[in-house]
Formats: sequence, structure tokens, C-alpha cells
Amino acid sequence: MSPQPASPSAPSIISAIPPGGWLIAVLAALSMAAIGFWPSPPTRDRTMWTFAQPHYVMYGPIIDRWNAANSPTIDLTMLGLVPMERRMLASFMSGTRSADLLEVERRIAARAFTGPLDAVGFVDLTDRLKAEGLLEQINAPSFSPWTSRGRIFGLPHDVHPVMLGYRSDLVEAAGIDVRQIETWDDFARVMKPLMKDADGDGQPDRYLLNMWETHDDHLEVLLLQAGGRFFDDSDRPIIDSETNARVLATIVSWCNGPDRIAADAPDFTASGNKLKSDGYVVCTFMPDWMCDVWRHELPGLAGKVKLMPLPAWEKGGRRASVWGGTMLGIPRTAARTPAELDSLFAFAKHLYCSKDLAQELFRNGRIITPVKSHWSDPVFDEPDPYLGGQKPGRMYIDLASAVPARTSSPYNTLARFRMLDALVKLSEEARRTGTFDRAALTERAMHYLKDAQHQVLLQVDNNVFLRPPQGAEAPGE
Amino acid sequence: MIALLNSPTRRTRRLLATILLAAACIVTLLPYVWLLCASLKSNSIFFDSLLLPGGDGPLGLNWSGITIDHYIRLFRDLDFGRSLVLSVFYSSVTSLLATLACAMAGYALARLRFRGKWLITTIVLGAVLIPAPLLLAPGYLLLYKLSLLDTMAAVILPAAAPAFGVYLFRQATISSVPPELIESARIDGAGDLKTFFVIALPLLRPMVGTFLMITFLGVWNNFITPQVVLQDPTKFPVAVSIAQLRGVYYQDYGLQMAGTLAAIFPLLALFAFLQREFIAGLTAGAVKA
Amino acid sequence: MSKRAAAPWILMTPFLAIFGVFFIYPVVRALTLSCEQTFGAGHSEFIGLANFRRLADDPLFWKALRNTTIFTLGSVLVQLPLALLLALLLETPGLRGRRIFRVLLFSPAMVGVAFAAVIFAVVFEKRTGVLNRVLHSMIGLDLDYAWLQDHVMGAMIVAALWMYTGFNMVFFSAALQNVRTDVVEAATIDGAGPWSRFVHVIVPAIRPVAGFVVLLSVIGSFQLFELPYLMLNTTAGPDNRGLTVVMYLYQAGFETGDLGYASAIGWMLTILLVAIAGVQRWLARAEGVHS
Repeated sequence: MSPQPASPSAPSIISAIPPGGWLIAVLAALSMAAIGFWPSPPTRDRTMWTFAQPHYVMYGPIIDRWNAANSPTIDLTMLGLVPMERRMLASFMSGTRSADLLEVERRIAARAFTGPLDAVGFVDLTDRLKAEGLLEQINAPSFSPWTSRGRIFGLPHDVHPVMLGYRSDLVEAAGIDVRQIETWDDFARVMKPLMKDADGDGQPDRYLLNMWETHDDHLEVLLLQAGGRFFDDSDRPIIDSETNARVLATIVSWCNGPDRIAADAPDFTASGNKLKSDGYVVCTFMPDWMCDVWRHELPGLAGKVKLMPLPAWEKGGRRASVWGGTMLGIPRTAARTPAELDSLFAFAKHLYCSKDLAQELFRNGRIITPVKSHWSDPVFDEPDPYLGGQKPGRMYIDLASAVPARTSSPYNTLARFRMLDALVKLSEEARRTGTFDRAALTERAMHYLKDAQHQVLLQVDNNVFLRPPQGAEAPGE
Repeated sequence: MIALLNSPTRRTRRLLATILLAAACIVTLLPYVWLLCASLKSNSIFFDSLLLPGGDGPLGLNWSGITIDHYIRLFRDLDFGRSLVLSVFYSSVTSLLATLACAMAGYALARLRFRGKWLITTIVLGAVLIPAPLLLAPGYLLLYKLSLLDTMAAVILPAAAPAFGVYLFRQATISSVPPELIESARIDGAGDLKTFFVIALPLLRPMVGTFLMITFLGVWNNFITPQVVLQDPTKFPVAVSIAQLRGVYYQDYGLQMAGTLAAIFPLLALFAFLQREFIAGLTAGAVKA
Repeated sequence: MSKRAAAPWILMTPFLAIFGVFFIYPVVRALTLSCEQTFGAGHSEFIGLANFRRLADDPLFWKALRNTTIFTLGSVLVQLPLALLLALLLETPGLRGRRIFRVLLFSPAMVGVAFAAVIFAVVFEKRTGVLNRVLHSMIGLDLDYAWLQDHVMGAMIVAALWMYTGFNMVFFSAALQNVRTDVVEAATIDGAGPWSRFVHVIVPAIRPVAGFVVLLSVIGSFQLFELPYLMLNTTAGPDNRGLTVVMYLYQAGFETGDLGYASAIGWMLTILLVAIAGVQRWLARAEGVHS
């Protein structure tokens, strides 16, 4: 079958290949060679993934010190949130190895809890945490997102209380005293003079609150603060509650109609940052980590921003909420023997519970540690020039115990989005009918929430793995 | 005479066509120009200007806002070059394999006689109708069983035997390889294999060129397969790598745009070389069919 | 076996081996898989036809189907006439620079959806996005027109317009090249105006290609996934307005981990596309009988 060089037909084989074919053949050869010679990164004994650039920077020195004194050594890799979610799931679902330590965000971790309890890809740490006394040492609400069916699958990284960041330059220039604000109604009333229409086009070009009906994060912050929930303690959906309806109605009245106070300056986008710099919005939800995001992305606002506790839903109500959350988990595939697990857990504890990290986290990431014994550290009393000399550490710690607990249901993201759908539809109906009265909206919100509840129930009930076996007790009890 | 009569209207019509087509071209080119400008702007002034930032510098531009930092970060810190090389590798190897496999099979189905030919032809023609997403879940399970998940083979092999290619080569053989030629080669004592490589393949040259390009393009731009089967970023092609540049909490616009430009440029360059035979080959089948 | 008898099989083997393993087997497995519920590749339970019953009642599946249909109709109805118009302009006799026009207009087809999505995600941003700023200064469109929140499928149709109009144009243009000029001239002498020439001479001549282009567009459009998935930052957007059939399949299979439900969705898509191809064929054949 090999062409004979002497045969007169040989040139026709060569002519059978078009120029594109030659080009592609050359490309194939070159790329193969390039891949063969491409320098591959040095491999360490164990790998850890994180999704947050600031964490990556902070952990570096701590891990270097650990590696100098311990074995196995740890190699830290930074991954985007989206790729990490996919790779974690891909590895849990196929039983293949991913990293040895996974630092994951809440919405990703919950994905691991979809299957049967024995198929959760993380090692169950409950007994270990109890035995080592960590359960008492760490702020209790911080465990909730990592607890599924009574078992804890990760070490909490943070508390992430939410405050309200406001443009102190604008507020103070208008002679407004934020101490007069206790509830959201106070907030709208006291801040109202700031909503101005400077260019005279009939539309205000400054709004009081950076919040929009299409952002699920904003919805969850407000909902949790108000005492609303997606799931009850046994992970059954309770979406169509009175509290949830009231929150939805309020948000709609903030985004539309005569009482509108909110506008959309999306976080983490250059466009949103420009709007914030321009003073399009006065106040923004600020979890502790957001202070760090602002320092880097909005350096121009240094000294022009301050923090205040969230206005409560009613007098004497909760003045904090929670946004985001991270844990460190150990995949089952990484800890096949008890000795392997011991060494990985020792590192995890060293990384998350050390005083060094608590200080680093706050200095470089503005994140407060969930380890309560570190809260007296002087670092948390350092004034922050970016926030006009306020002491953000102390302010966030004071709110830590008031942070609402959260569900770990794998259907949380689903519930969140179905509730967001209800909100969007309610808002559209309000605009269509011109009804912005909160009582009327609450009633309609209930209608949409019932639909959302139905849809989430449908998915939850369809999961054969979460169904308790007939006649048997629920696992873990 | 007709041409003379129509000449003034024809000229206006030609002018009108030129203007409209030029307008369409400008709209088409706008995203490229915008992309190029966006990849050169620093993030702090990204949204201040539509294209490049205006200022007092030469050409009326603000040169301090123009930077190639995004490209430097992309290739030095993020090793984006590796993804590019991998994309070239996946695309070229797959297209060579697929073209050879499909050309041989298409020719055999069109011109050779053997048992089971009718059955295979029917299955191949039916397979053209099956949409790729159907294979996503069972294909994943198969790769899991073969322990091929997260390997380069998982990207290349499933794409190396497209039924569509066999269909195209079968059509091309029917229309451009005359049976008499095959018959006379046979009488001269040439075997079927020799006949294929020496007589048929040169006649199929246009389809070989077109199909190489179609497959190359398809693999380069495929997102979902590598997204599902690969896990290790040192194996990611650019289509997947580009999505990794987009964070949930931090948006680096300039970097994303630089990455996008770097990812589409090789393909546009390749196209610029081969556009003539590619477009001709692409449309030939449809017009004749 | 003689050399002669073996040769066809040697030619067929590379294709058949790969095709059998990576196509035929998965298609057969998709059938059995659609009767299971799985969590990833490791955990599976047989549930019979429950997946299909669940699909019938699943509002999200119907929403995905609706969104995808809207996109398909929008794409076909806006894109193809525009492509035909451009092709007619391109085939104006004596036009200069035809080749460069063709290459430029066709070039977006080279840009993969995954890359176009990154570009358009920024182009469609409200208030700061290029599109809104251009439209605002040109026709006074509201700067806050939220493409990616309120008009997701509209945004997808616009993006697809950029990507595929030139691609479809080259097919029409190739078909127009086959329209015999003497027929057109004869019609002109007979006093046929441009419209009547278009309807009576050009349309019949390009009808087969038009059928092919429509079918290709419909099949491609129904598999929309990367564009909304990446533009909406790997979500389905508010109120699932960007959810498409293939995105739902992906979510079910690779985010929830239920490969069984994903296969069931895959079968629905397959049945739909095969039916559409069947209708197109039947129409084309009926056409052939008449003319």
C-alpha cells in the first residue's frame, strides 16, 4: 500500500493534498512538538485549589512556611469559581481525583450534596470537629452552609456579615445624620433628599440603594435579614411564606413606582464601578470582603465611603445579613487512608485557624475570621483610611453573632433562582398594572411564590437519592 | 444593445449595491475593531470611550490609557500560549484523522461493492440527523468506563469519525470520480486501495481541502465537549480557557478581550489563506444537491 | 478472503471502528440511560419511563423549548432574508470588490460561539455597553435597555445575526451564480420589473438551496447553548429567559449530575429535529413533483 517512489502515479498522490492539507499537517507536527517540549509546572505532593485571588496571595507565605517544616508539601493553585465548580463536580461524579484540598464557595459546595449522603465527595468532618473542640471555637452560623443532613463537610473560612456602605461625602454634604436610621423606612425617608435630578430630564440621576430585582445575591441578603428562608430544618422548601412575600413586595416597591429608591450599578463590573464612582448610587451592600474589592477596584472613592449596620426590617430587628462564604473541604479521593486524612486535616486546621491567617485575612482581604478567640486581636481595631477612619474589623465582629444561619440544600441555588423569577414577574406585573402598593404587592407575591414553591418541590421530590428509604429512619439520626 | 440601454440604471444600481455592501461590511467589522481597541485599554478607563480613549497625545489619543499589559499577563502569567498550541494540536490532528477516515469510507460506499454496504449507508445517512447533544451524557459515561475522561484522546477520538464527513465524501465521489476511471484502473490491474489513493483522492482534492477546514474550524470552536470531558487546565483548548478568564467576582475586561482576540486571530488568518477554496467547497455541495 | 474482497473493509475500518465505539454505542446507551436516574457516572437507579413523564410536566423544559423556538424563528425570519438581500447585492453584474465583500461578510462564521459570547456579553451591557451607547446616540434608545435581563433571546438573535448572516449569504450567492443570465435578460426584455423577475426567475432557481439553508439554520438554532450560557455567565439568566434545550440538558447532566434526565432531553431534541428534517424533505419532494 506504500506508494512506490518510481511509479509515475506518485506525484498525483502529492497533488491530491490541497495547500490547506499541507498547512494543517505542518501545524499538527509543530504543535505536537511544542506540546512535548512545553515546560510543565513542578509537581508538589499535594494540591489545594482556591477560587479567590486575594486568598491566593495571602496563603502563599503561610504555605511556604508549612512546606519548609512539613511533609507532604502543599501546592496552591488558583482557579475561577466557574471552572472550579465544574471540575469539582466532574471529579465527584466520575470518582476521579481532583485536588487534595478544595477551598470552595457556598453555591458550589452545595452541589456536592445532591446525591446520597455516602456519595458526597467531601470527607465528613463532624466527629473530628467535635473531638478537637472546633465546634465551640468557631462562630456557629458559619457552619450552616456546610452541614447537610446533620453532617459537616468543611471547615468554615469566614463569617461575612453584611453592612451598608454609603457615600459619606454625599451624605455629609447633604447634612444627613445616618444615626437617625434604624429601619428601612427610616432609610428611605432620611436619605430621600439625595435623590436628585441634576440634568432635568425628569429622571433622578442619583438613587439611594445599589440593588436590583435581577440580582439573586441582593435578594438573598435582604431575605435572610428579614428572617425569610428557602428551606426548613429538614431541607423541605418553604418558599411561599408571609415573610418572603413581604420581602419581594418591598423590593419591587424599591425598584419601581413612586417609592423607587434603588438602581442597578452591578458589582464586580467595570460598568457598575463607573456608576458607583459617578455617584449614581449612594449605598451598597457591603459584606466584609467587599471592602477589599472596593479598595482595589474603586481607589478613587478612598475617604468617601463609610459603613453603617443594615437598616432593620422593623424596629429592634436584625441589622446584619450575610453574603458569600467559603469552606475548606477534603475530597474523599484524596484521603484514602486515616493517615492521609490526618495530615491533610492538620494542614487545613493550621491554615484556617492560625492567628497569622486571621491577621492576614483582615489586613489584606478585610475578611474577619470565624475563630472567636482571635477576635480580641488589635488588628481588628485598626482604623481604615479608605473608610474615613472607621474601624471596620470591630464593626463587622460586633455583627458576627447576628448573622443569619443558612441552608446547605443542594436545591438552594434552584430555590434562589425560582424566587428571583417570582420577583421579576411581580415587578413586571407591577409596572404593567401600575400597582406599587406594598399590601397589594404582597398578596400578588404570594401567588408567584406558590408557583416557585411548586417548581422547587417538583425537583426535590423527583430526586430518588434524597428520598428516605421506606420505613427506615433518616440517615445520621 | 440591452447593456447599452440599461447602462445608466446599471451604474446606479452598482453604486447602490457597493454602498449597501460597504455599510454591511462596516457593521461586520465593527466588533473586530472594538475588540482590538478593548484589548488595548486599561481596565480603569475601559468604559470611558467607545473605541480608544481620546486625549491630548498624538493622534488625539490618551496614550497612557493604552497598554499591552493584558497580552503580557495572558501569555506570561496565564500560559495562554499553551491553550493556543493545544487548540492547534486538537484541531489539526482531528481534522487529518477525520478527513482520511471519511474520505476512505465515503469512497468505498460510493464506488465499491461489498456486503453490508446498504446497511452501513443507511446508518450513516440516519446518523447525520442525530444532534450531537444527544451523545453528551452517554458519551461521558463511555469515556468514564474507558478511563479516558480528562485525556486528550477524549477530545480527539469522538470527533474523528463524523457521519457527516462520510456523507460529503460519498456525494463528492459520486459527482467527481467517474466509474469508468475506476473500472479502467481495475482492468490495468490496480488494487482497490491503490485506485483510491492514486486515482480517486486527487479528484476529491477540493472536498479534502474543504473538509479539513470544516473539521479544523469545528474542533477549534467546540466548547461543550472539552468543557465536559476535560478537567485539567493544562489540557484546555482556547475555547474553554477563554471562559475561565471570566470570573464571577472579578471582571478583567481587557484580559478577556485580549484572550478572545488571540483565540480568533489564528483561525481568521488561516481563513484568509484558504478562503477561496473553502467557500467554494462549502457551497458546492449545497448548490448541486 | 481475497485481496479484492478485503479492500473495501480496509477502507471502511478506521471509520467504522471509531464510529461504532463513539457514535453507535452512545446512541444505544442513550436509550437505556433515559430510563435511569444517576448521580454522576457512579450512582444509578432504574426508574423506567419516569424521566419522560417528568419532562411532560416540567415547566423548565417547556420554557427552554419555547425560548429556543423563539430564537430559531427570529434567526430564520430576520437573518435569512437579510442574507438573501446581501447575496443579491453581491451578485449585481459588474460589481467591483465582490471577493473582498464576500470574505469580510463571511468572516464572523469563523469566530466560534464561545468567543463571540465573550465579545457580545460586553457589547450588550446596559448603560455602558457599546450597542446601547450607539443606539442611544442614533435613535435615542433607553441606555438602560436591559438586553441580557429582559430581552435575552432578542440579544441572541442580534448576536447570531452578526455571526451567521454572511455564512448564509454565501450559499444564496452560490445559488444565484447558477441563475442563467440569459433567462433574466429574456425576462427583462419581456418587460418583467425587478420584483416580477425576483419572484418568477430568481426564487424558483434558488428554492432548493433556500430549503437547505433554512434546514441548516433551524437545526443549528435549535442547538443554541454556548451563546446564552457564556453571555449570562454560565446561568440561564433572570426567570430562565436564556434557558435553551441544550442548556437544560447540560444543566441536568453535568450540574445536577443526572445523566438519565439529560438523555431524555436529548431524545426529545432528536425527535424534534428529525421531524423537522422529515417535513423539509417531504416539502422538497412535493415541490419536485409540481415543477
